[in-house]
Parts: sequence; C-alpha cells; structure tokens
Amino acid sequence: MATGLMVTDLDVGDVLGPVEYTLSPFVVREYCHAVELHHDCFQGIDDQVMPPTLIHLDKLRLYRHACPGGTGPTARIHYEYDAEIFGEVRVGDRLSVVGEITERYTKKGREYLVLVMKLTRVETGELLIRYTDRVILAYREQSGKAA
Amino acid sequence: MTEMNLQPGTEFRLKPRPMTRERMRWYVDAQPTIAADDGRIHTQEPTIHDDDDYARSQGLPGIIADGMVSTNWIMGLLIDVFGRDIARKGRLRTKYIAPVYENHLVTTCACVTRVTQDQSGARTIDLEVWCEDDTQRKLTVGEATVVQAAA
Repeated sequence: MATGLMVTDLDVGDVLGPVEYTLSPFVVREYCHAVELHHDCFQGIDDQVMPPTLIHLDKLRLYRHACPGGTGPTARIHYEYDAEIFGEVRVGDRLSVVGEITERYTKKGREYLVLVMKLTRVETGELLIRYTDRVILAYREQSGKAA
Repeated sequence: MTEMNLQPGTEFRLKPRPMTRERMRWYVDAQPTIAADDGRIHTQEPTIHDDDDYARSQGLPGIIADGMVSTNWIMGLLIDVFGRDIARKGRLRTKYIAPVYENHLVTTCACVTRVTQDQSGARTIDLEVWCEDDTQRKLTVGEATVVQAAA
C-alpha cells in the first residue's frame, strides 16, 4: 500500500486490506433503511443478518484503507455487482475483508477496474461471500452505460 | 415457508417505484454514516448521485442513481419471494446497462429459468433478474441463484 495512492492509481496485483471489523446492528439497519429492504431479518431486533449487497460498502472500506489519496480526478461508476454467498453473515460477527485488483483494461475508450473481495468470519476462517466488483474509472456519455 | 410451485417462466414483479432524488441521496448518505458506525448521520463530498453540477462536470446530464439501489431492489424482491435463503447461500449478479436518471419509473423483475432438486431435497432456483423503465427498456440486468434447504 503506497501512501497517497488514489483509487484511479490501482492496478492488477494490488492487494487491499485485510481489514477487520465487527458487524453492528446499526450498520445493517441503516443500510437496509437506505435501500428499502424493510424485512425483519435485516431491520428487526433479534437474529439480524447482513444483506449480501452490503459487501459493496466493504469495497469503500478497503478503498479508504488502501487509497488515502481518495477517489482520484474522475468519478467512479459502478458497472457490475457479482456476489457468491456461501454462508449467512450475522450481526455481531467479527469479519475480515480483503481484496485484490484482478483486471484493469480499456474497452471502447473507457477504463475498467475489477476488484475481487473475500469476506470471512475471523473466528473460523469460513468464506462467507466472494464478491467481484467492476467499475468504470472515467465516464464518457456517448456509450450510454452507467450506474 | 411453504414450497412454491416454480417452473421456468414463473415471473415476479414489484410495484413500479420512481427513482427520486431522495432515493439516490439515501444511498449516498448511508455510505459515510455506515463508515462512521456511531449511530449518527454523516454526509460526504458531492457525488454524481446527489449533485447535478458535479455530475455534469463528469460528463453526465445530471445526477444518476447508484447501481446498488437497483441491485438492492432486486435483492428485496428475492427476499419477498424466497425469504432469507438468498442471504444464506446463492448468487446475485447485476450489470448496469443504462443510467437511471431522476424520476425514472423503475420496475424490479425476476423470472425463473431453472429449478433443480438434489437428493437431500435442497432446491436450487435460477432466475433472470432485471429492472426496467416504464417503456420496458432494461436498465439493470443479471442472474440470481437461490438455494433452499430441504424442508
């Protein structure tokens, strides 16, 4: 990890993390409230679990950890979310997340970056979610693809 | 949960929702709030999801929704239909193939493509998932797999 590294500087082989944290009920409820997942398993009091989509914010956790220089000169645009779920993540779990840049390429004049992340339970080492995140580092309007 | 009679072609849809400015901002505000994890609301620098001027400076005509809003609406549909099984084992993949602008009317959809059952009785359901606008143009596309343990 290089001090001052920005997200736009990331390249193939860069490893982000690992970062450990404990999943809090506040985080799950706040996230689910923001995205209208009003289900008891997420927003209830007992037996609360993490929606697998929340791993997307672990990407930002890794960026903050590995890229203290911030986003970089251009806004990042999310292009693909791909999560394989192997086990339920529960509130109170001590978790570890690590990521690796596996691809950086240019297609139709746009630069893409692929980050593969693994979320594991610290106590057991069990792989809970493997997540592949594909972003466009600099958006140009003409192709009309963005999110 | 009662086992549904699912077959390829079985389709599920949520009621259309407008992608309002507020819905886009909720996701923006959630990010620093969750990062701080201190029970209080936090905000961040302008983004392409909540600031028109910044979005235009990045080549966009105005703010666009974060793709994860659509992905979470698909997740919500899967939870509505299958319960929390999708949070236990499975897969969800989404691609954002068209921008979602302010006040686009978005309908979240899923269609069963395959149902298989193993010897233990566990059932695997594969689905095509997508979000479309009010002209049926797809905005977000993808696939999901839900694994239901034997009853």
